[in-house]
Formats: sequence, C-alpha cells, structure tokens
Amino acid sequence: MAATPGFEAAVTGLGMVTPAGVGTKENWSAVRAGASRAAVDPSLDPSPVRLACRVTGFDAGRLLGERRALRLDPFVHFALVAAAEALSDAGLDPATWDGARVGVVLGTADGGPGTVEAQHRVMLEEGGRWVSPLLLPMQLPNMLAGQLAIEYGCTGPNLVVATACASGATAIGTARDLLAADRCDVVLTGGSEAMLTPLLMSGFAQMGALSRRQDDPAAASRPFDADRDGFVAGEGAGVLVMERAADARARGAAVHGRIVGYGASADAHHMTKPRADGRGTEAAVRAALADAGLGPSAIGHVNAHGTATPLNDLVEGRMIKRVLPHDPKVTSTKGVTGHLLGASGAIEAIYTLLALKHGTVPPTANLTRLDDRIDINVCAREEPLDAEFALSNSFGFGGQNAVLVAAAP
Amino acid sequence: MFDTLKDILVDKLKVSPDLITAEATPEEIDLDSLAIVELSLVLQKELGIEVSDDELTEAETVGDIVRLMDERSARV
Repeated sequence: MAATPGFEAAVTGLGMVTPAGVGTKENWSAVRAGASRAAVDPSLDPSPVRLACRVTGFDAGRLLGERRALRLDPFVHFALVAAAEALSDAGLDPATWDGARVGVVLGTADGGPGTVEAQHRVMLEEGGRWVSPLLLPMQLPNMLAGQLAIEYGCTGPNLVVATACASGATAIGTARDLLAADRCDVVLTGGSEAMLTPLLMSGFAQMGALSRRQDDPAAASRPFDADRDGFVAGEGAGVLVMERAADARARGAAVHGRIVGYGASADAHHMTKPRADGRGTEAAVRAALADAGLGPSAIGHVNAHGTATPLNDLVEGRMIKRVLPHDPKVTSTKGVTGHLLGASGAIEAIYTLLALKHGTVPPTANLTRLDDRIDINVCAREEPLDAEFALSNSFGFGGQNAVLVAAAP
Repeated sequence: MFDTLKDILVDKLKVSPDLITAEATPEEIDLDSLAIVELSLVLQKELGIEVSDDELTEAETVGDIVRLMDERSARV
C-alpha cells in the first residue's frame, strides 16, 4: 500500500549543471535540439574507453570562489551551482527562512572518487604523511547534502542516498516523503555525480558497460537503437526545490510541475544485470502509479532510463510495453547528455517536468533504427505532448529501481 | 618571510590576498583546523620548514606564524 497516495510535491525551483549546459534554460534548448555531447576525453587515458560527456563552460573557481572551489570535489561544485540556480528560481531567500524546516536530500553513486585517486597517487609516490587533510571531507558522499546545508543554513533533515544510477530519483522520492510526513516545509533535492576518472572508467569499460564507438563519439550514445553498444558516462547535477503544493500556492510561487508518485523496488537478482523478465522495474512503475492514484492509461510520456546498453533498453522497452500498452511517447535524453549515473534520475525528472510544462517531448538523439525487439513509441524527433502525467524511470546497478510520476503545473 | 608566507597562502591555499596582514588571526584569513594541517605540509614541502600543525594552531596571528617560520629556517 502506498504511504503517500496522491501527495503532491510542488516543484518551485530548478537548477542544472550537465553536459547539455550550465543552467536549466540552456539544458532544455540543448535536449530539444538533440545533439549528443559525447566526445573523446584524453584526460581519461589510460582507460580503455575515453568517451565521455563532460560539463563544459563551468569554472568552479569563478562561480564559487577560488578558495572554496579548491576545498571541494567537483561533485559538490556541480550541486552548489545547481542549488543556487534552483533557489533563485524558487524565489526563496535563505537569509529569511526557518532553516530548521528546510531539508536536503540528494543522491550520488560515488561521491568524490577523483579526489581519492589524486590523493592515492600522493600516498604511493610521496608517502602517507603528505596526504591532504581534506581527503575525507572532500570525497565523502554525504558531504553533498552537508555542504548545501552549510551554504544555506538548512538545519532540517539532511541526507544522501545511494542507489547507483537511480540515486537522483530515489532522493526526489524520499524528499517527497519527508514533505508528506511534515518533517520539513521545503526540501532541496536531486543528485550530483563526478565519476569521470581514469580508474572508474576503466572499471566500467571492463564490465562491458560502455560504448566503444570512439571513432564516432557523437553517435555513441544511442538509446533503443538497434546498433547501440553501451552507455557514455557523463557528469553534472540537477537540483529541485520542492514544497507542499498548498504552501507553494499560499506564497504565490510559480510552479514548474508536481511530483505526485514514487515507486521503489529491488530486483534481488544480480549485481549488475537487470532481471530479464523486467519484473523488478515493473514493480517500481506499478508502485509509483499506485502512489499517484493513477491507472497506466493516465501516463502520456515516459523519460526512460534508456542507457543505451544492449540489455537495459531491451528489458526496459519490453516492460514499458507490458505496463503501458497504450504507447505513450517515450524518450531517453541520455542520447544527448550521456548517462549521469547518480545524477541522471534528477536531471531526467527535470526534463520530464519541462516536457509536461512546455507540451513537447525532446528527441532521443541517435535513434535511427529502433531495435526491432522493442515495440514502444520512442521519439526519434521532438514531438508535441498533450498530457498531464509522465514517468521518469531510473534503475541502478544492484537492481535498485526508482520511478517518479511527474505532473504538469 | 611575511611575503613568502603570503605567497604560499595565496598560491597554494587560495586565501584572498587582501585579508593577509601580520595582525590577522588564522580565523580572519579563513584558516580552519584542516587548513592549518595543509599549511604545515606546504611549508615543509615548498620551503623545507618544519612547523607542526600543533604549533601553527598556537599561533594567534599571521605575524606569529612568520616568527615560527623565521626560527625554524634559521635552524636549518
């Protein structure tokens, strides 16, 4: 039984730092345009795969101050900049709010591995006594929410969740639960990730998870396409400000949309492979629909997990067909952004809200020939949308699944 | 030695140069306990001057840190 049936969390602020751009407006134009941001990144050498979607045009020192930037890992840089945009967008002033009623719930798959790798090198080459005293506070995953609290005086519930590539969606669902339980009045939520390091990319490559299309980077991330061969990893952050819908109305806040349902499940099956029958992800979708008090036919759009790995897209595609046989418009924005891992659930929830708000489904970049085993309505081009409700799917290694139901404003 | 310390604080720890005066306290130039350890490591690595973080914590002002550095470099 759903714990929060029909509860509406109003989304009043959005902030994004992704390979598609710095800023929500920039992101929305870029995903609508549908050009992939993947490129060969020489800094990932000696990883066997050096394809990635980097955040560009982002100068942490300029945006956050040189000293502050030096003492924080990029996964915190991205989130701080996205949070500043989201709060300004929400019209909330941290100088005047009751911080005890402001929560922070963010997701990340891995915290700050770049900092760990750099300091590991220092230890091996120079010795343990030269390791930075900032190693721990820079890389711990929970610092993501901790640093936002420090920045804005949010003294309410504060946590980071880790469900691998579902982390951002799990965070948003959890944040909505906190609002429903009246544990806070405002919540900053979303996800951030900065995992593009030579070591971790080598690990992903060894798993066979990554696209090897290094000779044609722009075509590498191709969700649901017959010729897909793996994901392209990305980095960045998405932050949402959420409030109870009645509170948002009472203060006259502009609302981008609502999160009205959340479903979570575990495959309990394999450390990386999804269940071949898709029953784990299906359980999350059905739980999300029940939580929203909606039948499947109410869903007009799905922002799929759609990683472009051969297995995910096949299993997810079949699951979508089974649960939503009325063929809602499906997209995977990972064709443009790559896979932002623990941040992907957050940025895709934002794209889903914007699709409902603006009445348009962004295209699935690089979808030239749909895998003929997948019989769903994947949009290769931007398409108009007339719907009130949409799903944003996120599935993590370990079989952790999180699905959000988004609603138009 | 004040200028040497100032250069290190600005270049390595990115402390804002206009905050750094001989009278400024560590807190006023944004040096917390972690930054004090960093400073101890940087002084040793860059200048070969050994001042422990415990000693740096005792320093009440930037001028005190400069005096510690003077003492230790004279001994080398």
